[in-house]
Amino acid sequence: MTVLLSEWTKLRALRSTYVTLLVAAVTALLATGIVAASTASVQASQAPPFGAVAGIFAGWLSYPALAVGILGIITMTAEYSTGQIRLTFTAVPRRLGVLAAKAAVTGLTGLVFGEVLAFAGYGLTRALAGHPLGGTLSGASIHVLAGGLSLCVVILLGLGIGTICRRTAGAIVTLPAVLYLPLLVFVLPAQWKDDIGRFTLVGAVYQLVSTHPSGQLFSPGLSLIVMLAWPAVALALAAVVITRHDA
Amino acid sequence: MIEIDHVSKRFGKVIAVDDLSFTVGPGHVTGFLGPNGAGKSTTMRVVLGLDEPTAGAARVNGRSYRGIAHPLHEVGSLLDAGAVHGGRTAWLHLLSAAQSNGIGKSRTAEMLTLAGLDEVKNNKIGGFSPGMKQRLGIATALLGDPPVLLFDEPVNGLDPEGVQWIRELFKAFAAEGRTVFVSSHLMSEMALTADRLVIIGRGRLLADTTVDELTQDTLTVTSMEAGAIGDIALRNGIAVHELTPRHASLEEAYMKITAGSVQFHGGSQK
Repeated sequence: MTVLLSEWTKLRALRSTYVTLLVAAVTALLATGIVAASTASVQASQAPPFGAVAGIFAGWLSYPALAVGILGIITMTAEYSTGQIRLTFTAVPRRLGVLAAKAAVTGLTGLVFGEVLAFAGYGLTRALAGHPLGGTLSGASIHVLAGGLSLCVVILLGLGIGTICRRTAGAIVTLPAVLYLPLLVFVLPAQWKDDIGRFTLVGAVYQLVSTHPSGQLFSPGLSLIVMLAWPAVALALAAVVITRHDA
Repeated sequence: MIEIDHVSKRFGKVIAVDDLSFTVGPGHVTGFLGPNGAGKSTTMRVVLGLDEPTAGAARVNGRSYRGIAHPLHEVGSLLDAGAVHGGRTAWLHLLSAAQSNGIGKSRTAEMLTLAGLDEVKNNKIGGFSPGMKQRLGIATALLGDPPVLLFDEPVNGLDPEGVQWIRELFKAFAAEGRTVFVSSHLMSEMALTADRLVIIGRGRLLADTTVDELTQDTLTVTSMEAGAIGDIALRNGIAVHELTPRHASLEEAYMKITAGSVQFHGGSQK
């Protein structure tokens, strides 16, 4: 518990925390607005380009997710670049405890921020699109909730990558590669794209936020497991790295 | 009590610490001396569990540092005062360290006051001078009121008043029965604060001794001309066989011991 409190104090003490979250919020709402406005211009008889609620989150893919992931990264890499990590480990020699506390604090921040942003985006979409996208709030809320959760997943993925790389530059190059490179599988021939695509983070998130999930990818239940597996694997590797290296 | 038990540390092909053993006991200030690159900082990092020794073990009060749940209560340390995130205020920086070991706000505030940083507590550390960072690092080390203190080059960057402050602090802590272990590459500094000396070179132990032993068989009189000493001796009927004006005799003794193990010599211009 003491480590959690300490890590929370550290996170809230930095201006970069607020700046990255503000950038993520502004770009997310901007992207949501653009998608919603273009959806509104589509004739009501036509299906929206993205499965209803999924449109809100399509815009997140470009920049907001990256900003949130970078917050996860610098939570760890800034400690290494400044040398603060030696004080951190001197005060808390159980390094896994430090990693777990950072994961709890950033994960909760990402979850609360993601959910608030997701429901704000949903409200904005309903206001702009002019017709009830994805039906009622109660019908759509599970997908909106999943969209918010995706930012928690991305911030934890960032924390894991940051811990593995230890250097900010390397981690910031790695994060988009992990997030976006797998998207290339969707230009592969049909039989490959779905077989591989169902394991991608973006594919899994799509299945969860979409009111009309693809029949070719995993079911929403399995997709939830895939989505959570990405940060879990990154953090597991991070746990190995953080205990092995001299600080 | 700090025990270094046959500790070796390799970085690739470089042997930073080579089968080093010594003990630092409570009740006095122990100086840790050696030329640049002798392995002082590496030894201290091994003690603090930051570096894993290649062989051997270091113990604090009989325990491995990594096994201590809230070590700030057992060991106060300062390795590199500049190694802090400059984006946080002094207060939140110190508070986060305190919270990690269950130390409250009042103790944290007390330590900021002790270090003389009250006026700048809400300023970001990034704007601090090296001396102010040093004071903040010392405040961090003292948070848990620890019986063992370990400092790497603590006077670096401090102004004369700060140097005086930390010397008095060390002596007071030693007098209270705490273990005070202070590294330096400056013998002159150690001559003023330390009672015991551990001297290493190229990662090996060169001397584990007291300040008095290092200069034994000589009586050192400071701040007095040789002639004046002779006059006093004559007035008191004491036979003086040899009077040698010396400057920083400890410094010389130290130079003699470490002469063979200095790795980085300054070149002379040709």
